[in-house]
Amino acid sequence: MRYTALCAPAIVSMVLAANGHAETLIVNSYGGPYETIIRERIIEPFESRFGIKVIYDAVGSASQDYAKIKATNGRPGFDVVVMTASQSLEGCKEGLLEEFSPEEVPNLEHLSSVIAGVAGPCGAVHEVQYLSLLYRTDKLAGRPNSWNALLDDGLKGKIILPTFQNVMAAYLMEIFSVAHGGDLLENVDPGFAAMAKLAGQSIGFEQSSSVMETYLKGGDVWAMPFWNGRAQLLVDSGLPVDYVLPKEGSIPLVATLNVPKHAANRDAALKFVNFFLEKSSQEAWVTGYKVGSGRIDIEVPADIRAKQITTEADLKALLLPDLAAVATRLSAWGERWERDVVAAAK
Amino acid sequence: MGMMIGISFQSQTEGRPTLASYSRFFSNDLVLAGLARTVVMSGLVALCVTVLAYPLAYYLARATSRWRTFIFALAIAPELAGVVLRTYGWLIILEDRGFINSALIWTGLITEPLPLSKNLFGVVVGLTHVILPFGVLSLLTSLQGINPNLEKSAQILGASRLAVIRHIILPLSVPGIVSSFLIGFTMAASAYATPALLGGAGFKVMATMVYEQVLFYLDWPFAAVMANVLLILMLAAGFIGSRLESRLHQKLHL
Repeated sequence: MRYTALCAPAIVSMVLAANGHAETLIVNSYGGPYETIIRERIIEPFESRFGIKVIYDAVGSASQDYAKIKATNGRPGFDVVVMTASQSLEGCKEGLLEEFSPEEVPNLEHLSSVIAGVAGPCGAVHEVQYLSLLYRTDKLAGRPNSWNALLDDGLKGKIILPTFQNVMAAYLMEIFSVAHGGDLLENVDPGFAAMAKLAGQSIGFEQSSSVMETYLKGGDVWAMPFWNGRAQLLVDSGLPVDYVLPKEGSIPLVATLNVPKHAANRDAALKFVNFFLEKSSQEAWVTGYKVGSGRIDIEVPADIRAKQITTEADLKALLLPDLAAVATRLSAWGERWERDVVAAAK
Repeated sequence: MGMMIGISFQSQTEGRPTLASYSRFFSNDLVLAGLARTVVMSGLVALCVTVLAYPLAYYLARATSRWRTFIFALAIAPELAGVVLRTYGWLIILEDRGFINSALIWTGLITEPLPLSKNLFGVVVGLTHVILPFGVLSLLTSLQGINPNLEKSAQILGASRLAVIRHIILPLSVPGIVSSFLIGFTMAASAYATPALLGGAGFKVMATMVYEQVLFYLDWPFAAVMANVLLILMLAAGFIGSRLESRLHQKLHL
């Protein structure tokens, strides 16, 4: 009797799966508010339309997921994963990720060519954030409009920096490089010189964005670089904080949907990617999670449009480093960060 | 392990075997500083664990009162909480605005916070707490194996309490001391969470550097070299420990 009870669900599942009634899709992405919003705005409408059951896996970060894909040679156990444009390029080069075609993912053609080009053929850009200057409105006298505000004497001991293993650090260094007469790749000396000064101002370094947040919430930190999507969540939580895109510009965090090369449910995965890039889905995502989009034909409220990347002009105003070239320099930059920046903080 | 050794000889960009990652390891001062930091940190943790665990293990080996069970439970209590939880606990105690610094500033003894975390001190404190129960257990096994009548006989023959410890207990517990030291050293050398949280950006050890290479720089051959060097370091510690144990055993029993 016990064996019958145990075997029955398994047999039913197998029969349903064989008949195509139990198609599932495993999506790996983030937990927290992200999970709540993606379930409500993307996953549930997708399940209703296609009759595909989505299993949401919030375990791991994008870098851990990429390591898993690499270690399993494209069979990580999930079908769709949210990563970044850097990982999309690396995974494509290594042959670990599916290359998307307009035939299988037609909505790719609606993405801005500026931003789609950043992610390469294996990354479907579903979200664009930018590195913003987040600050406490109750501590700073006015609204900062330049990255150089972080170097003001009034902020000594009141800022925190990411460790180099958080990609924010490299991007911030590049932004300062451009702002002080250098460039994004070849001449980054001004960027490192500025970061060394900034390190002298800071109370230290933290790798995790969530830990950096706690310093700001506690009032120990008054200003810091932060991805604007997460910054917006802090604003919405009622904290006395706001964020700006400083006049020198910013580098975007281009988030991508990726399908591992040997995903078990490839067809469903491609349907999901295409669905996420639909105009209505992008509008739902941009208004729900309050981030930018790679689609420039979406219609969103004015207050969101004012703070997010939603137009071709917004995209063109961003600093866009060659991410493949950045990847080849990361190791050398990391060592230089240890010598010049971390040492300056001591 | 074979896979790790194989990967360490791979080129990051081409498929051919190469010694480039090994060459980079032994010519990079930042990496070598990380290796030296690992050795110093692990040695200090092993020493602290053994010194702190010894009296506790001796009490547990000899005690017969009802407090014994309670003290034994307390000794292994750190293992009941996860390592990350314990480490965050120490962070709350040791950080600049943590319990100790706040209390010292409040009492007026100091005006600026003492550097208790984000450095070697913080990591050694955190790891000693994490590894202490293992030191207690390995010493306890060794001390329980010493016949209590030996101590009584020595005392009847006029030996002081200090002489009994010096000439009877310590020599006979050398295997336990060595195994406690080895357990402390190897567990500290391979620990990731505690150095990552309590060490901060300026205190990198081999385990945290391997993590960075695997997940951030995606340089798996270099990470494999680091892991192999760490493995060799632990094997060397084990070999030296066993040689030392047999020498001390011989010397102290002469």
